[in-house]
Amino acid sequence: MTQPSQPESSTYAVELNGCTKEFATPGGGSYFAVRDIDLKVEPGRFVSIVGPTGSGKSTILNMAAGLLNPSSGTVHSFGEPVLGVNRGASYMFQQDALLPWKSVIDNVSLGLTMAGVSKAEAYDESRRWLEKVGLKNFADRYPHQLSGGMRKRTAVAQAWIVNPDILLMDEPFSALDVQTRQIMENELLQLWQESNKAVVFITHDLDEAIALSDEVVILGAGPGSTVVGSYEIDIPRPRDLLDIRDDPKFVELHREIWGRLKVEVSKTYESAREEEESDAA
Amino acid sequence: MTVAPVSKKTQRFPLGKERSQAAVQRPRRKRGEASNFSIRMGQLALAVIVLGAWEMLGRIGVIDPFFFPLPSDILMTVWLWVSSGFVFPHLWITLQESILAFLTGAAAGLVLGFLLARVRFLERLLDPFLQMFNALPRVVLAPIFLLWFGLGIWSKVAFGFTLVFFIVFFNTLEGVKSVDRVLVDNARMLGASEKQLLRHVFIPSALTWIFSSLHISVGFAITGAVVGEYLGASAGVGYAIAQAQGVFDTKGVFAGMFILMFVVLIIDLLVNRLERHLLRWRPVRSS
Repeated sequence: MTQPSQPESSTYAVELNGCTKEFATPGGGSYFAVRDIDLKVEPGRFVSIVGPTGSGKSTILNMAAGLLNPSSGTVHSFGEPVLGVNRGASYMFQQDALLPWKSVIDNVSLGLTMAGVSKAEAYDESRRWLEKVGLKNFADRYPHQLSGGMRKRTAVAQAWIVNPDILLMDEPFSALDVQTRQIMENELLQLWQESNKAVVFITHDLDEAIALSDEVVILGAGPGSTVVGSYEIDIPRPRDLLDIRDDPKFVELHREIWGRLKVEVSKTYESAREEEESDAA
Repeated sequence: MTVAPVSKKTQRFPLGKERSQAAVQRPRRKRGEASNFSIRMGQLALAVIVLGAWEMLGRIGVIDPFFFPLPSDILMTVWLWVSSGFVFPHLWITLQESILAFLTGAAAGLVLGFLLARVRFLERLLDPFLQMFNALPRVVLAPIFLLWFGLGIWSKVAFGFTLVFFIVFFNTLEGVKSVDRVLVDNARMLGASEKQLLRHVFIPSALTWIFSSLHISVGFAITGAVVGEYLGASAGVGYAIAQAQGVFDTKGVFAGMFILMFVVLIIDLLVNRLERHLLRWRPVRSS
């Protein structure tokens, strides 16, 4: 939990203070998705949020994005309160979020054209990005004509082309097969290292979180979960993701963090079982 | 051996709409499926068989040619109407009415559909009234429209409008409401304003729904025009059919029907082309 130097609060790329989110249930009641979340992400840092199923990981990300307003607490980005959509952030969704009626290049250039950049200029920039993510020859395809991995690459280009200061990623690679996923993670890390962007990365995969991040934040079991731990990952960069799982430091960190996460995961499992049993009774 | 494939073939061509759609989708040919050319030949053969049987039965007196005029006589009447130019002014009037009814009805349905889908309050306010008007059998409106708008084209346009409007409206409403939440969020995160959301997300997404209803609404625009003319008009194909019926000229009634069928078929083909162009991003359905 110790950070080498505490910057001024206005320089945090993402700062959640005491954020609680309450949802109304169809039955007329309400439940807390997350409670009292404090999260601080410095510019240029890669922070992963890991937690068991139903721990409100996406809720936190949506609050940072400005897609959800916290029921109480505040969200700041570079010192400014986040009201409405967070302009400095791009979001990579877990599901396919490409517009199916737009070709790959139109999808990638969307952020630029909507900001008023001329089409020719936006296309030039999009081609550069498509080359970067290895989709140079697929500019005119429609999303349904691409493989899952290619759609994710397109989504990466779409999110990065607007040059955001913050990248919010909600289990972006969870739908991919293991090999494609490792390749995508490697590419993401390379892109990120060339930039100075803050990344908030959500995953339920602790291996992925440790391998990619500077800091891993552990969420407790839901509902009404809160941050139960935060770990500095001081594995030196650049990292080679294909071999990192054998790194003694990785193994040690993994053991330590898993020890904490395991408790929450089994809590979630227990409460799910109890619910099932009470449903059955 | 020869019987089985024929019956199979006829099964593969259900009547009306589905046939033309199946032809347009042009699915990749599966094993054992006939080529386009042989399908066309089969269709032609089917038409010749049915019309031939009709003609024969009429000629040998099994069916009464007064009620079911011989196909050859109907074709002669069609030819007469076409070659003398008699039918064209009527057709032109009917087309004008249909086009106006379609354009106004579709425009109003689109605008109101988008509005109600985006403004929850309006939807809840207007819902019972819209349901009420939609439940009303539209034919009963024809007399009142005749009184309001006269015998000219506008009473038919108004009549067709009420038919087209509700189809487009409900499809637009459903189309906009069923837009994937993630697509909206993604566009908003990329900086879309409300107007840009409409243009890049909601309209294209609703288009699929609107197009699925387009064939029906185009058909209804023409139905509205013809039924309106039939009930009271001074020109139009419906009027020509009513006139023929008035003098027990069944050949004329059938001739009017055949001409209408042909025109609607052409319009449907054009709609299909437009649909294929505008929805070219969509994966080809495998079924």
